[in-house]
Amino acid sequence: MSGGRRKEEPPQPHLANGAPKSSAWSKALRSDAAWEDKDEFLDVIYWFRQIIAVVLGVIWGVVPLKGFVGIAVFCLINAGILYLYFSSFQQIDEEDYGGTWELTKEGFMTSFALFMVILFNLQPVVDSDYFDKLEFFILRFGKDLPGHLDQSHLLDG
Amino acid sequence: MSTMFADTLLIVFISVCTALLAEGITWVLVYRTDKYKRLKAEVEKQSKKLEKKKETITESAGRQQKKKIERQEEKLKNNNRDLSMVRMKSMFAIGFCFTALMGMFNSIFDGRVVAKLPFTPLSYIQGLSHRNLLGEDYTDCSFIFLYILCTMSIRQNIQKMLGLAPSRAATKQAGGFLGPPNPAGKFS
Repeated sequence: MSGGRRKEEPPQPHLANGAPKSSAWSKALRSDAAWEDKDEFLDVIYWFRQIIAVVLGVIWGVVPLKGFVGIAVFCLINAGILYLYFSSFQQIDEEDYGGTWELTKEGFMTSFALFMVILFNLQPVVDSDYFDKLEFFILRFGKDLPGHLDQSHLLDG
Repeated sequence: MSTMFADTLLIVFISVCTALLAEGITWVLVYRTDKYKRLKAEVEKQSKKLEKKKETITESAGRQQKKKIERQEEKLKNNNRDLSMVRMKSMFAIGFCFTALMGMFNSIFDGRVVAKLPFTPLSYIQGLSHRNLLGEDYTDCSFIFLYILCTMSIRQNIQKMLGLAPSRAATKQAGGFLGPPNPAGKFS
Protein backbone atom coordinates (compact mmCIF):
# COMPACT_ATOMS: atom_id res chain seq x y z
CA MET A 1 0.00 0.00 0.00
CA SER A 2 1.23 3.44 -0.79
CA GLY A 3 1.95 5.46 2.30
CA GLY A 4 2.64 8.64 0.35
CA ARG A 5 0.72 11.87 0.60
CA ARG A 6 -2.59 12.00 -1.17
CA LYS A 7 -2.26 14.10 -4.30
CA GLU A 8 -5.03 16.61 -4.92
CA GLU A 9 -6.35 16.11 -8.41
CA PRO A 10 -8.59 18.43 -10.38
CA PRO A 11 -12.20 17.16 -10.29
CA GLN A 12 -13.07 15.15 -13.39
CA PRO A 13 -16.50 15.48 -14.99
CA HIS A 14 -18.69 12.65 -13.75
CA LEU A 15 -22.16 11.50 -14.62
CA ALA A 16 -23.90 11.32 -11.23
CA ASN A 17 -24.92 7.71 -10.47
CA GLY A 18 -23.83 6.43 -13.85
CA ALA A 19 -20.87 4.87 -15.60
CA PRO A 20 -17.58 6.22 -14.24
CA LYS A 21 -15.29 8.00 -16.72
CA SER A 22 -11.99 6.39 -17.71
CA SER A 23 -10.11 8.64 -15.29
CA ALA A 24 -12.15 7.15 -12.45
CA TRP A 25 -11.08 3.65 -13.47
CA SER A 26 -7.42 4.63 -13.51
CA LYS A 27 -7.91 6.08 -10.01
CA ALA A 28 -9.71 2.92 -8.94
CA LEU A 29 -6.68 0.81 -9.80
CA ARG A 30 -4.34 3.14 -7.93
CA SER A 31 -3.87 2.59 -4.25
CA ASP A 32 -4.88 5.40 -1.89
CA ALA A 33 -6.30 7.63 -4.64
CA ALA A 34 -8.09 10.87 -3.79
CA TRP A 35 -11.84 10.86 -4.40
CA GLU A 36 -13.32 14.37 -4.38
CA ASP A 37 -16.61 13.15 -5.85
CA LYS A 38 -18.16 10.56 -3.53
CA ASP A 39 -20.63 9.46 -6.20
CA GLU A 40 -17.73 8.57 -8.46
CA PHE A 41 -16.23 6.22 -5.88
CA LEU A 42 -19.62 4.66 -5.15
CA ASP A 43 -20.08 4.03 -8.88
CA VAL A 44 -16.68 2.30 -8.98
CA ILE A 45 -17.75 0.11 -6.03
CA TYR A 46 -21.01 -0.65 -7.84
CA TRP A 47 -19.37 -1.71 -11.08
CA PHE A 48 -16.67 -3.73 -9.31
CA ARG A 49 -19.48 -5.62 -7.61
CA GLN A 50 -21.07 -6.40 -10.96
CA ILE A 51 -17.75 -7.65 -12.35
CA ILE A 52 -17.26 -9.88 -9.29
CA ALA A 53 -20.80 -11.24 -9.75
CA VAL A 54 -20.07 -12.16 -13.38
CA VAL A 55 -16.74 -13.83 -12.56
CA LEU A 56 -18.07 -15.76 -9.57
CA GLY A 57 -21.24 -16.70 -11.48
CA VAL A 58 -19.12 -18.29 -14.21
CA ILE A 59 -16.87 -20.10 -11.70
CA TRP A 60 -19.80 -21.31 -9.59
CA GLY A 61 -21.62 -22.45 -12.73
CA VAL A 62 -18.65 -24.35 -14.19
CA VAL A 63 -17.43 -26.02 -10.95
CA PRO A 64 -20.51 -26.37 -10.20
CA LEU A 65 -21.24 -25.12 -6.71
CA LYS A 66 -24.84 -25.84 -5.77
CA GLY A 67 -27.04 -25.22 -2.75
CA PHE A 68 -27.39 -22.36 -0.32
CA VAL A 69 -23.78 -22.78 0.77
CA GLY A 70 -22.66 -21.66 -2.67
CA ILE A 71 -24.85 -18.57 -2.45
CA ALA A 72 -23.67 -17.77 1.09
CA VAL A 73 -20.04 -18.09 -0.02
CA PHE A 74 -20.73 -15.76 -2.94
CA CYS A 75 -22.20 -13.14 -0.58
CA LEU A 76 -19.20 -13.42 1.75
CA ILE A 77 -16.64 -13.19 -1.05
CA ASN A 78 -18.46 -10.30 -2.73
CA ALA A 79 -18.69 -8.31 0.49
CA GLY A 80 -15.22 -9.33 1.64
CA ILE A 81 -13.33 -8.41 -1.54
CA LEU A 82 -14.94 -4.98 -1.72
CA TYR A 83 -14.37 -4.38 1.97
CA LEU A 84 -10.67 -5.10 1.53
CA TYR A 85 -10.65 -2.86 -1.53
CA PHE A 86 -12.10 0.23 0.09
CA SER A 87 -10.62 -0.17 3.55
CA SER A 88 -7.13 -1.48 2.78
CA PHE A 89 -6.39 -0.63 -0.86
CA GLN A 90 -8.13 2.73 -1.18
CA GLN A 91 -7.93 3.47 2.58
CA ILE A 92 -11.01 5.65 2.51
CA ASP A 93 -12.83 6.90 5.58
CA GLU A 94 -16.05 4.86 5.65
CA GLU A 95 -17.80 7.57 7.66
CA ASP A 96 -17.55 9.92 4.68
CA TYR A 97 -19.81 7.51 2.79
CA GLY A 98 -22.29 6.79 5.56
CA GLY A 99 -20.46 3.85 7.12
CA THR A 100 -19.29 0.39 6.07
CA TRP A 101 -22.86 -0.83 5.64
CA GLU A 102 -23.66 1.81 2.99
CA LEU A 103 -20.57 0.81 1.04
CA THR A 104 -21.37 -2.88 1.42
CA LYS A 105 -24.92 -2.58 0.16
CA GLU A 106 -23.99 -0.38 -2.82
CA GLY A 107 -25.04 -2.47 -5.81
CA PHE A 108 -25.23 -5.66 -3.75
CA MET A 109 -28.74 -6.78 -4.71
CA THR A 110 -28.13 -6.07 -8.39
CA SER A 111 -24.90 -8.05 -8.31
CA PHE A 112 -26.66 -10.90 -6.52
CA ALA A 113 -29.39 -11.01 -9.16
CA LEU A 114 -26.73 -10.92 -11.91
CA PHE A 115 -24.85 -13.76 -10.26
CA MET A 116 -28.03 -15.88 -10.15
CA VAL A 117 -28.86 -15.17 -13.79
CA ILE A 118 -25.39 -16.26 -14.93
CA LEU A 119 -25.58 -19.35 -12.72
CA PHE A 120 -28.94 -20.36 -14.19
CA ASN A 121 -27.68 -19.79 -17.70
CA LEU A 122 -24.64 -21.98 -17.20
CA GLN A 123 -26.53 -24.78 -15.44
CA PRO A 124 -27.99 -26.44 -18.57
CA VAL A 125 -24.69 -26.05 -20.45
CA VAL A 126 -22.63 -27.71 -17.72
CA ASP A 127 -25.24 -30.43 -17.07
CA SER A 128 -25.52 -31.30 -20.76
CA ASP A 129 -22.97 -32.96 -22.99
CA TYR A 130 -21.96 -29.76 -24.81
CA PHE A 131 -18.45 -29.88 -23.41
CA ASP A 132 -18.13 -33.56 -24.28
CA LYS A 133 -19.24 -32.88 -27.87
CA LEU A 134 -16.81 -29.97 -28.12
CA GLU A 135 -13.96 -32.13 -26.89
CA PHE A 136 -14.88 -34.91 -29.33
CA PHE A 137 -15.03 -32.42 -32.21
CA ILE A 138 -11.57 -31.12 -31.41
CA LEU A 139 -10.13 -34.61 -31.05
CA ARG A 140 -11.88 -36.00 -34.15
CA PHE A 141 -10.90 -33.23 -36.51
CA GLY A 142 -7.60 -32.48 -34.88
CA LYS A 143 -5.75 -34.56 -37.49
CA ASP A 144 -6.39 -31.76 -40.01
CA LEU A 145 -4.71 -29.28 -37.72
CA PRO A 146 -0.99 -28.45 -37.73
CA GLY A 147 1.12 -31.11 -36.00
CA HIS A 148 1.46 -29.46 -32.62
CA LEU A 149 -2.36 -29.05 -32.33
CA ASP A 150 -3.27 -32.55 -33.53
CA GLN A 151 -4.70 -34.49 -30.59
CA SER A 152 -6.52 -37.15 -32.67
CA HIS A 153 -4.16 -39.89 -31.40
CA LEU A 154 -6.02 -39.59 -28.08
CA LEU A 155 -9.11 -41.10 -29.79
CA ASP A 156 -7.25 -44.34 -30.50
CA GLY A 157 -7.34 -47.11 -27.91
CA MET B 1 -31.56 -29.42 -21.94
CA SER B 2 -30.76 -27.50 -25.12
CA THR B 3 -34.36 -26.23 -25.18
CA MET B 4 -33.99 -25.05 -21.60
CA PHE B 5 -30.76 -23.25 -22.43
CA ALA B 6 -32.44 -21.58 -25.39
CA ASP B 7 -35.35 -20.53 -23.17
CA THR B 8 -32.99 -19.09 -20.56
CA LEU B 9 -31.12 -17.07 -23.16
CA LEU B 10 -34.37 -15.92 -24.70
CA ILE B 11 -35.66 -14.66 -21.36
CA VAL B 12 -32.42 -12.74 -20.79
CA PHE B 13 -32.83 -11.23 -24.25
CA ILE B 14 -36.48 -10.35 -23.52
CA SER B 15 -35.39 -8.71 -20.29
CA VAL B 16 -32.79 -6.58 -22.08
CA CYS B 17 -35.35 -5.56 -24.70
CA THR B 18 -38.05 -4.68 -22.18
CA ALA B 19 -35.56 -2.68 -20.10
CA LEU B 20 -34.52 -0.72 -23.19
CA LEU B 21 -38.15 -0.31 -24.19
CA ALA B 22 -39.08 1.05 -20.75
CA GLU B 23 -36.18 3.51 -20.78
CA GLY B 24 -36.97 4.45 -24.37
CA ILE B 25 -40.59 5.23 -23.57
CA THR B 26 -39.52 7.17 -20.48
CA TRP B 27 -36.99 9.12 -22.51
CA VAL B 28 -39.57 10.07 -25.15
CA LEU B 29 -42.24 11.05 -22.63
CA VAL B 30 -40.15 12.39 -19.77
CA TYR B 31 -36.38 12.62 -19.93
CA ARG B 32 -36.09 14.83 -23.01
CA THR B 33 -38.65 17.40 -21.77
CA ASP B 34 -37.32 20.73 -20.51
CA LYS B 35 -39.51 20.59 -17.43
CA TYR B 36 -37.99 17.30 -16.32
CA LYS B 37 -34.41 18.45 -17.00
CA ARG B 38 -35.00 21.65 -15.05
CA LEU B 39 -36.64 19.88 -12.11
CA LYS B 40 -33.96 17.19 -11.98
CA ALA B 41 -31.13 19.73 -11.97
CA GLU B 42 -32.91 21.71 -9.27
CA VAL B 43 -33.51 18.63 -7.10
CA GLU B 44 -29.90 17.49 -7.40
CA LYS B 45 -28.56 20.93 -6.58
CA GLN B 46 -30.84 21.27 -3.55
CA SER B 47 -30.12 17.73 -2.36
CA LYS B 48 -26.36 18.25 -2.42
CA LYS B 49 -26.71 21.63 -0.71
CA LEU B 50 -28.96 20.19 1.99
CA GLU B 51 -26.66 17.23 2.54
CA LYS B 52 -23.66 19.54 3.01
CA LYS B 53 -25.61 21.73 5.42
CA LYS B 54 -26.75 18.75 7.48
CA GLU B 55 -23.18 17.50 7.73
CA THR B 56 -21.94 20.80 9.13
CA ILE B 57 -24.82 21.49 11.49
CA THR B 58 -24.14 20.84 15.19
CA GLU B 59 -26.36 20.11 18.20
CA SER B 60 -25.99 23.68 19.39
CA ALA B 61 -27.04 25.16 16.03
CA GLY B 62 -29.41 28.10 16.34
CA ARG B 63 -33.16 27.92 15.75
CA GLN B 64 -32.76 30.08 12.68
CA GLN B 65 -30.37 27.61 11.07
CA LYS B 66 -32.66 24.69 11.82
CA LYS B 67 -35.63 26.58 10.42
CA LYS B 68 -33.65 27.35 7.27
CA ILE B 69 -32.93 23.64 6.82
CA GLU B 70 -36.58 22.78 7.35
CA ARG B 71 -37.58 25.32 4.70
CA GLN B 72 -35.06 23.82 2.28
CA GLU B 73 -36.33 20.33 3.00
CA GLU B 74 -39.88 21.45 2.31
CA LYS B 75 -38.81 23.04 -0.97
CA LEU B 76 -36.98 19.86 -1.95
CA LYS B 77 -39.99 17.74 -1.08
CA ASN B 78 -42.19 19.88 -3.33
CA ASN B 79 -39.74 19.62 -6.21
CA ASN B 80 -39.51 15.85 -5.75
CA ARG B 81 -43.29 15.63 -5.83
CA ASP B 82 -43.37 17.63 -9.07
CA LEU B 83 -40.70 15.37 -10.52
CA SER B 84 -42.74 12.28 -9.61
CA MET B 85 -45.80 13.79 -11.27
CA VAL B 86 -43.81 14.31 -14.46
CA ARG B 87 -42.67 10.68 -14.41
CA MET B 88 -46.23 9.49 -13.83
CA LYS B 89 -47.01 9.83 -17.55
CA SER B 90 -44.38 7.30 -18.55
CA MET B 91 -45.35 4.98 -15.71
CA PHE B 92 -48.88 4.66 -17.07
CA ALA B 93 -47.65 4.10 -20.62
CA ILE B 94 -45.12 1.51 -19.53
CA GLY B 95 -47.63 -0.19 -17.24
CA PHE B 96 -50.05 -0.53 -20.12
CA CYS B 97 -47.38 -1.92 -22.50
CA PHE B 98 -45.98 -4.30 -19.95
CA THR B 99 -49.37 -5.69 -18.97
CA ALA B 100 -49.90 -6.70 -22.57
CA LEU B 101 -46.35 -8.03 -22.96
CA MET B 102 -46.40 -10.01 -19.72
CA GLY B 103 -49.73 -11.56 -20.65
CA MET B 104 -48.24 -12.67 -23.94
CA PHE B 105 -45.02 -14.05 -22.41
CA ASN B 106 -46.89 -15.82 -19.64
CA SER B 107 -49.01 -17.67 -22.16
CA ILE B 108 -45.96 -18.55 -24.29
CA PHE B 109 -43.98 -19.91 -21.34
CA ASP B 110 -46.93 -21.32 -19.43
CA GLY B 111 -46.03 -24.66 -17.85
CA ARG B 112 -42.47 -24.58 -19.28
CA VAL B 113 -39.44 -25.19 -17.14
CA VAL B 114 -37.05 -22.49 -18.33
CA ALA B 115 -34.14 -23.18 -15.97
CA LYS B 116 -32.95 -25.47 -13.21
CA LEU B 117 -32.16 -23.82 -9.93
CA PRO B 118 -28.95 -24.99 -8.24
CA PHE B 119 -30.83 -25.06 -4.93
CA THR B 120 -34.34 -25.68 -3.61
CA PRO B 121 -35.82 -22.25 -2.85
CA LEU B 122 -37.50 -21.38 0.44
CA SER B 123 -41.19 -22.20 0.63
CA TYR B 124 -42.42 -18.62 0.29
CA ILE B 125 -40.37 -18.18 -2.87
CA GLN B 126 -41.56 -21.44 -4.39
CA GLY B 127 -44.90 -19.81 -5.19
CA LEU B 128 -43.02 -17.58 -7.61
CA SER B 129 -40.21 -19.86 -8.77
CA HIS B 130 -42.50 -22.84 -9.41
CA ARG B 131 -45.47 -20.86 -10.70
CA ASN B 132 -47.73 -22.74 -13.13
CA LEU B 133 -45.31 -25.67 -13.28
CA LEU B 134 -46.34 -29.29 -12.87
CA GLY B 135 -44.64 -31.71 -10.53
CA GLU B 136 -43.02 -31.44 -7.14
CA ASP B 137 -39.46 -30.73 -8.24
CA TYR B 138 -38.98 -27.25 -6.84
CA THR B 139 -35.64 -26.78 -8.53
CA ASP B 140 -37.65 -26.24 -11.73
CA CYS B 141 -37.77 -22.55 -12.51
CA SER B 142 -40.71 -20.75 -14.10
CA PHE B 143 -40.56 -17.85 -16.55
CA ILE B 144 -41.66 -15.19 -14.11
CA PHE B 145 -38.96 -15.90 -11.51
CA LEU B 146 -36.17 -15.84 -14.05
CA TYR B 147 -37.60 -12.74 -15.68
CA ILE B 148 -37.74 -10.91 -12.34
CA LEU B 149 -34.11 -11.81 -11.60
CA CYS B 150 -33.04 -10.73 -15.09
CA THR B 151 -34.89 -7.43 -14.74
CA MET B 152 -33.35 -6.77 -11.32
CA SER B 153 -29.87 -7.18 -12.71
CA ILE B 154 -30.20 -5.89 -16.25
CA ARG B 155 -32.53 -2.89 -15.90
CA GLN B 156 -30.56 -1.24 -13.12
CA ASN B 157 -27.30 -1.70 -15.02
CA ILE B 158 -28.78 -0.31 -18.22
CA GLN B 159 -30.10 2.72 -16.36
CA LYS B 160 -26.70 3.37 -14.83
CA MET B 161 -24.87 2.83 -18.11
CA LEU B 162 -27.13 5.31 -19.87
CA GLY B 163 -26.85 7.75 -16.97
CA LEU B 164 -30.58 7.70 -16.36
CA ALA B 165 -30.55 6.55 -12.74
CA PRO B 166 -31.49 9.30 -10.27
CA SER B 167 -28.62 10.69 -8.22
CA ARG B 168 -28.01 9.21 -4.80
CA ALA B 169 -28.41 12.51 -3.00
CA ALA B 170 -31.82 13.06 -4.56
CA THR B 171 -32.87 9.49 -3.75
CA LYS B 172 -31.77 9.82 -0.15
CA GLN B 173 -33.57 13.12 0.43
CA ALA B 174 -36.68 12.04 -1.42
CA GLY B 175 -37.09 8.69 0.32
CA GLY B 176 -39.80 6.92 -1.63
CA PHE B 177 -40.44 9.58 -4.28
CA LEU B 178 -37.41 9.22 -6.44
CA GLY B 179 -36.31 5.72 -5.46
CA PRO B 180 -35.22 3.47 -8.28
CA PRO B 181 -38.16 1.78 -9.93
CA ASN B 182 -39.16 -1.50 -8.32
CA PRO B 183 -37.15 -4.00 -10.37
CA ALA B 184 -39.28 -6.97 -9.28
CA GLY B 185 -42.48 -5.45 -10.62
CA LYS B 186 -43.65 -5.78 -14.17
CA PHE B 187 -44.55 -2.11 -14.21
CA SER B 188 -41.72 0.40 -14.23
